[in-house]
Amino acid sequence: MTRAEFLTRLKRGLAGLPAGQIADIVADYEAHFNDAQEAGRSESEVAAALGDPERLAREQRAEQGVKRWEETKNPSAAAGAIFAILGLGALDIFILAPVLMGVLGTLFAFFMAAIGIFVAGGAVATVGPFAGQPGGPAVAFLLGIGLMAAATALGAVTGLLSIWLVNGLVWFGRLHYRLLKPAIETQV
Amino acid sequence: MTEAIEVQLKKGVLGLCVLALLSKADSYAYEIASKLAKAIDMGEGTIYPLMRRMQSEGQVETYLVESQAGPPRKYYRLTEAGRSSFTAQKAEWAAFSSAVENILGAAA
Repeated sequence: MTRAEFLTRLKRGLAGLPAGQIADIVADYEAHFNDAQEAGRSESEVAAALGDPERLAREQRAEQGVKRWEETKNPSAAAGAIFAILGLGALDIFILAPVLMGVLGTLFAFFMAAIGIFVAGGAVATVGPFAGQPGGPAVAFLLGIGLMAAATALGAVTGLLSIWLVNGLVWFGRLHYRLLKPAIETQV
Repeated sequence: MTEAIEVQLKKGVLGLCVLALLSKADSYAYEIASKLAKAIDMGEGTIYPLMRRMQSEGQVETYLVESQAGPPRKYYRLTEAGRSSFTAQKAEWAAFSSAVENILGAAA
């Protein structure tokens, strides 16, 4: 592989990242080729030592996705990090998908339940005191407030679990970065 | 099996080796990569994602140096955080490797 071919494939793999980041990453590899040339090595030798450019691009993208997740903990950053890690091929999607779907479904159900209980609590607290049920207005009001508090707690716990889940996936994905392996093994 | 252990070992100490090299003198990625490639048989491409991560974690910072031929070169130097991380990791490594040495010595 020539230098030009390597850089083209790397750029193609990085497409979609902010232009500044692509320029940074590409500049690193260009400098690498320059320095290697000064040391008297051929382009093809250097390209082979660097490894598969598509693989390098995927790992850089995964790293960026993870960085965004670490900076902003929101659903879109979580999705980005998960897909970037999946893109690494680190996690076998056919094994993982059913498990992930189950876990995500459960978390979603918890969120929905929290919202439902919160609304129900609100209704009990506002309507209850006037409905004349046994126990009197104060009991109905406190019961409603209690339900709302419980729902808020449930929502918060579910949120924490979701964050742990994504962090766990990221950690697992990082353990499986493959770049090092072929890079070490193809040393001649 | 041995191969897998070797890969994991190298992966684990790579960051420590980079910190060690930079603690002696500032350097640029190609130089770091070729030193490590020679010493511990590491793939050259590995250095770039690693340097990027260490930079975003605040362990190293970069500055440009003009070179006679070609564009300016990007040098890396340790930050304060990088220096203290190096001291801590070095101590951990020393404790770990002497513990392993002891066990290996006892087994022989």
